[in-house]
Amino acid sequence: MNDAISSAVSSPRSFGATAFRGLVALYLLTIRQHLHGRRWLVIGLLFLLPAALALMVRFTSSRIPPEGLEFMLAMMLMPQLLLPLVALLYASGMIQDELEDQTFTYLLVRPLPRWAIYLAKLAATITTTAALTVVFTAITFGAIYLGAGIVAGDWMPRLVKTAALHVLAMTAYCCLFGLVSLLTKRAQIVGVVYIAVIEGLLANLPFGIRLITVIYYIRLIAYRTLSYVVATPRGPEDMAAEAWQLNIIDDPQLLLHPSPSTCLLMLLGASVACACLGARICSQREFHVKTPDSP
Amino acid sequence: MTSVVTFHETSKWYGNVIGVNKLTLAIPAGVTGLLGPNGAGKSTLLQLATGQLRPSQGMVRVLGEEAWNNARLNRHLGLCPEQDRFYEWMSGWDFVYTCARLSGLTRSAARDAAARTIDSVGMTKHRQRAIRGYSKGMRQRIKMAQALVHDPQVLFLDEPFTGTDPVARRDLMNIVTSMGTEGKSVLISSHVLHEVQSLTSRVVLLNHGRLLAEGHVREIRELIDKHPHHIVLRCDRYRELAGCLVQWPDVEGVRVLASEGELLVETRSPDAFYGRLPGLSLDDGLAIESVYSDDDHLEAVFKYLVK
Repeated sequence: MNDAISSAVSSPRSFGATAFRGLVALYLLTIRQHLHGRRWLVIGLLFLLPAALALMVRFTSSRIPPEGLEFMLAMMLMPQLLLPLVALLYASGMIQDELEDQTFTYLLVRPLPRWAIYLAKLAATITTTAALTVVFTAITFGAIYLGAGIVAGDWMPRLVKTAALHVLAMTAYCCLFGLVSLLTKRAQIVGVVYIAVIEGLLANLPFGIRLITVIYYIRLIAYRTLSYVVATPRGPEDMAAEAWQLNIIDDPQLLLHPSPSTCLLMLLGASVACACLGARICSQREFHVKTPDSP
Repeated sequence: MTSVVTFHETSKWYGNVIGVNKLTLAIPAGVTGLLGPNGAGKSTLLQLATGQLRPSQGMVRVLGEEAWNNARLNRHLGLCPEQDRFYEWMSGWDFVYTCARLSGLTRSAARDAAARTIDSVGMTKHRQRAIRGYSKGMRQRIKMAQALVHDPQVLFLDEPFTGTDPVARRDLMNIVTSMGTEGKSVLISSHVLHEVQSLTSRVVLLNHGRLLAEGHVREIRELIDKHPHHIVLRCDRYRELAGCLVQWPDVEGVRVLASEGELLVETRSPDAFYGRLPGLSLDDGLAIESVYSDDDHLEAVFKYLVK
């Protein structure tokens, strides 16, 4: 081995720049992969569901106020079902799709640390899903409020806050399902069960078990930053408190629940923990890409 | 000669299946052929050398560095994998350019490298077409281009000529040869021996994950001298010739190939046999039209060793 190669192999400075450029390329490649193919169509259709429902309700019934529609679609349907499903579809495929397509080899033989491959792909997945979330949340709000006689100044700030909460939820779900995809080959089945049982069922029970769900913290932040009190024939009604099992009669300030900053820290902390654990698993794991005559 | 790739007591198991079994091997700079039938462990060996797989036992070093999970080392390695898989939605250009970027090249350097490499594999004309529309030969060329685009010091090629047409095969072989000439190292795996023998005389033979033999074809031939060599003689009076040959002490057996007017002779002392042949023609007047042997051919060497 000649000296030039020897010094190049061991030079940390030039390697850092090389790896960084490679990771930027991987980040962009992953975004392109996410926005390609049939999955993108499925995601688009899923995300258009709230807007379609909003339009359907508006054209068939005038009794439901826009705020009520917003709550049901943007704070019930989306964070509880659509966001985790979309996160599951994207995050579970970050590595597994490459392995199934046998293209992971092209990444493994590049000067990219494995833990960084995982983090770059996760960052690209979060970026993609976050961008889609913002766009489709805006479309949903548009479908609810445009032409409903409410000035944009009233619902725009709610849209911004809701979109931010959706992005936060999406980030947590992506980190979680990315990790799950490294732990099991049946990540999509495990993910669907998780969404149905943990986020769907347990999060709606007024017990401590909901502390382990993403949706619980999102709801607490939403409850404290957005009002879901809707005028009904029976008078003003707090839809969120009732639907989310928040006991505002005994604890109107929600003092028995985590504060918004704690909720934010919990979600971000859990996301970072999942991402770090995934990166660690990725750096240690041997990815056996099948070849035509491999065992 | 300094070793570029070294395996020391390396084993790799997939559960109960052995991929590579206690392999100790030092591959020097230059072009080296890695030969073996399907399932011999060639791809496992290449995956170990490119750091994709962790040895279950032993050690693998490339350019003096441990190979497993060594991103720093990967800058100097190129791999043309066996599997015919790509980001199908990309064009050939896009794929090679992306691989250059993944290798850490700047945008402009990646553009130049992609253009140069695509040209070197003869794909400039087709570079803007989607890979999913490429023929097998084009796909192999583009796969080779992605392995070369970052100008690696060591190139690993896993069955690179599989399914290629004669023109693509010749072009790809020229690339391998020129890399060897430039002082780069190439480890090329194949189960088709004549592909490798036209590129290099230095070969490594694997079977069932074990090292069967290594070295120059001639050295390997010395190893197999204990096996009978097959020599074919063409002669009009082949039955008469057979009668003479069976009396020679160095002839193990003679088989008559009547339909071709030939004899297939088995001998463990080919040099002695060749030495006697001219005398036979002169003394007995048996005009031997042609003599040929597969024993200088890797195919024959390989057949002997895997038996």
